[in-house]
Amino acid sequence: MTNHWIDMINTDVAMVMGSNMVENHPIASKWLTRAKEKGAVIINCDPRYTRTSSFADIYCKFRSGTDIAFVNGMINYALQNGLININYVLNYTNASFIISEKYSFNDGLFSGYDPAKRSYDKTNWAYELDGGGIPRRDLTLQHPRCIYQLMKKHFQRYDIDTVCKITGAPRDTYEKVCRTFTSTWAPNRVATWLYAMGTTQHTHGTQNIRTYAILQLLMGNVGLAGGGINALRGESNVQGATDMGLLFHLLPGYLASPTKAEQTLEDYKKTYTPKTNDPKSANWWGNYPKYIVSLLKAWYGDDATAQNDFCFNYVPKRSADYSHISLFEAMYEGKLKGLFLFGQNPAVGGPNTNKEIAALEKLEWMVAVDIFETDTSVFWKRPGVNPADNQTEVFLLPACSSVEKEGSVVNSGRWAQWRYKAVEPVGESVSDLWIVDALHKSIKKEYASSGVFPEPIVKLNWNYGNGDEIDRHKEPDVHLVAREVNGSFHKDKDVMILKDLKSFKKGDQAPSFAALQDDGSTSCGSWIYCGSYPGHTPEKNNMARRIKEDAINGIGLYPQWAWCWPVNRRIIYNRASCDINGKPFDPKRWVVRWNETAGKWEGDVPDGPWPPKDKYPFIMKPDGHAWLFAANLNDGPLPEHYEPLESPVKNIMSSQEINPAIKLWHKTNPEGNPVGDAKRYPIIGTTYRVSEHWQAGAMTRNIPWLVELVPDVFVEMGVDLSRQKNIANGDRVIIETARGKMEAYALVTRRFEPFQLNGKIVHEIGIIWHFGYNGLARGDSANVLTAHIGDANTMIPEYKAFLCDVYKKNGGAA
Amino acid sequence: MKAMLIDSTRCVGCRACQVACKEWNELKAEETTFFAGKGYQNPRDLAADTWTLITYNEVEVNNRFDWVFGKLQCFHCNVPGCVSACPVHALEKTEAGPVIYHAGICLGCRFCQLACPFKVPRFEWNKVIPEITKCTMCADRVAAGLEPACAKVCPTDAIVFGDRDELIHEAESRIKSNPTTYVHHIFGKDEAGGTCVMHISNVPFEEIGFDTKIPMEPIASKVEHAMKPLPYVLTGLGLVLGGVSWVVNRKKEISKESESGKEG
Repeated sequence: MTNHWIDMINTDVAMVMGSNMVENHPIASKWLTRAKEKGAVIINCDPRYTRTSSFADIYCKFRSGTDIAFVNGMINYALQNGLININYVLNYTNASFIISEKYSFNDGLFSGYDPAKRSYDKTNWAYELDGGGIPRRDLTLQHPRCIYQLMKKHFQRYDIDTVCKITGAPRDTYEKVCRTFTSTWAPNRVATWLYAMGTTQHTHGTQNIRTYAILQLLMGNVGLAGGGINALRGESNVQGATDMGLLFHLLPGYLASPTKAEQTLEDYKKTYTPKTNDPKSANWWGNYPKYIVSLLKAWYGDDATAQNDFCFNYVPKRSADYSHISLFEAMYEGKLKGLFLFGQNPAVGGPNTNKEIAALEKLEWMVAVDIFETDTSVFWKRPGVNPADNQTEVFLLPACSSVEKEGSVVNSGRWAQWRYKAVEPVGESVSDLWIVDALHKSIKKEYASSGVFPEPIVKLNWNYGNGDEIDRHKEPDVHLVAREVNGSFHKDKDVMILKDLKSFKKGDQAPSFAALQDDGSTSCGSWIYCGSYPGHTPEKNNMARRIKEDAINGIGLYPQWAWCWPVNRRIIYNRASCDINGKPFDPKRWVVRWNETAGKWEGDVPDGPWPPKDKYPFIMKPDGHAWLFAANLNDGPLPEHYEPLESPVKNIMSSQEINPAIKLWHKTNPEGNPVGDAKRYPIIGTTYRVSEHWQAGAMTRNIPWLVELVPDVFVEMGVDLSRQKNIANGDRVIIETARGKMEAYALVTRRFEPFQLNGKIVHEIGIIWHFGYNGLARGDSANVLTAHIGDANTMIPEYKAFLCDVYKKNGGAA
Repeated sequence: MKAMLIDSTRCVGCRACQVACKEWNELKAEETTFFAGKGYQNPRDLAADTWTLITYNEVEVNNRFDWVFGKLQCFHCNVPGCVSACPVHALEKTEAGPVIYHAGICLGCRFCQLACPFKVPRFEWNKVIPEITKCTMCADRVAAGLEPACAKVCPTDAIVFGDRDELIHEAESRIKSNPTTYVHHIFGKDEAGGTCVMHISNVPFEEIGFDTKIPMEPIASKVEHAMKPLPYVLTGLGLVLGGVSWVVNRKKEISKESESGKEG
């Protein structure tokens, strides 16, 4: 999130789209309730009327997979009607920047497309630079190639009629949504955008988010209280996981993981450190070298020196995409021998379950680390198979739950909250920390007698209190881990932090990432966490703070409750909440303001300590401006509607049916990846969650009180469709896609209505995906239906839109 | 006196309340299949082990479709019919508000089930020594200064706990501030003589699972009218019928004697 959970109380309009927030983040509904009490309007857009819809003030239905058309239409509405915060747009976004002559857009394709590679040469979308290497701008916004004009042209195609034809949204409701949302262009009105998997789990998921960013920037809502782009994270500590670099393409702190192309540290620095010639651009990522070197020092300690590139050659160099789908495709081809699963249950949660389980069967060994036996950990003895037929050696390491161990958990608002152990672990279960610590020590021991290239493992700087000992009763010290993540000085050093000279001694914890160095004098396990634990004792653990006092601006920041990254800044990009003179756009809900007499900012930690006129607000961009036009994405600098891989209708925007930049696994790896067509599978299928169950159900399907509430997997379908198919509420039905079929109870409801699309009526049904063959409550997994197809930038699977058919169990196909 | 106010416009049907109730009161989960009522309703009904239940209702309100949720549970009447009906005083209206029961005293006679206008008390059919059970408004928690488990976990403050008078004031204020949203009635303010669990809603109360044909005076007053004379009626009847029986028998004896007299 750019903002944080409590901040929702400050909003005038909350747009819940791509999320069923009240269903899946029910506790957070508390904040929306408070916002409503203060007069906020809640808008919810969803193919189905959900628990969130019942909570909202305005509900608008639209077809799964057409989010871009929906929001592009809202952007067009704002642009056509002049409902933008022009002050903000002009000064803080790249609206005025001029784009290269090489840029064009035609029939669904941007310039620079290579159809054989299904990728773009993004240099075609670059800024036009002046003689000094600084992007040229037209502050009158008239230049035909300035981003503002390019956008007007691009979004003009998303008029209300076209949008309603694509999305099936009812016209009057859609107009109401546009009107209500764009009313927040005014400086004293603000909207927040709340989204989750409904947004991301599409082949164009990244561009879905881009539409929100563009609209919010036009409204001037980014950096303001009650505003922002707010991802409601799913798993309890997924924010912490991504912060610590658990995604395949990242190192901790969102640094890039090096690829084969970066063989030396210099290569790496050159590739990833952005440059700017504009003195007003803070270009904070220009500090990249400090963060990568400090990370390497944390990993390899004294062994990492300037002479050996700080052990950069020990870091694996990626040569491929190792995302979930890619891994399972490789596994299916027998290319992976072993698999570690830490709290993951792909037999239920992964797409194209049938293929993924077939892939698991090819493994030589699997280690499942979980608090319960999961469907995946017992895949070898699942119903219908003979364990003797499977050669995989499966280990189950019992992990203890979050209340049985100490450590931090990070919420969607980036707040790292320290937690204590409440009870001793049950039975033989141990913490993940103990398991990873023991794993490292065991592997290190093996390297003493064999193995190739042991240094990256054996030279790791690794001592969390127990030396080389593996002892079931000795827990590694999580405080040592946290302090290493915070970072420290490896030698005495004087450092200039802003205008102050600070002296540090060897061994001092680093106070913030402004102190980190690129010469090997500092180490830091994740630069964004620098400042979380700036001292040696638990009293200095900022993540453990629980002070209930709010900041002087009274907008719910609670700056001394736990600690958030970066540097405890609660609302990021908050510099943009003030005009160029440092005066808040909305004095009623000010986040930061420039105090002329004191010569500094007050309120939240400012996003940029510099005086108002010194630097542009969006410091993480090399040009210091928020990107309405984003030339770094694989599928284009502006969002464009494409149909999901499986769609019941043709794309009426262009002849590009699907996202031109997605990898087509069904073409490269056809086995097990059939694609369905609308003739055989005319109904849109989607998957989602219920409040009563959690993710793949390993925990909740084993709790009797929750099983009592939702004991069986069910599919929701509309009244008209159920009549057509002669299906009554409670009937057993089969849902089928090109990839597989599953059985479920039918729940007939008015909450799913058919869509009127450009003269055609299309139905949509939805299945909850929490079920699997293992546990107290069992049922078919909805993911037998979904496909190995992912987003153009992230490869996140398109769980949210596919084609299927549904029919009564004992009646055959209807 | 403490009470609860349940606002259906805030309820999102998450059922944290159902689970919290079972957790706090250590009630067993029932075995269920699919759903036992409209929408996601489970279990089928209030039961010995299910003291509160959420109903799922797809309704039309002001030409607008809505999904509205109702919370069924004991109403904790001010003058409870169940308390009056119980021959052994197993049920008790506490000063704090909750209507509690003393399980050890319960006979299992089920008069309370007949007396309750909301049809709340449930019988432990599965037990060898069965008793009546129902929501206690977490009287133990209330006595310790805490709120009931359901009110505590409700994420949207659809359930609020507090002084009855203050909650009535709060309910009136919500209805006044949103006159087109709410039905202009606080269900439980006067029903059955007034209850300590009250509801406000954006749809008619029948649409979310409540029986609204509840008299506005305490059931107890009706029950008492019936129960008070009962001992006299029974005794009187006993005397009268006993008297009739004596007279009839006497007549039989007399005719028998006269018959035997004739023969002798």
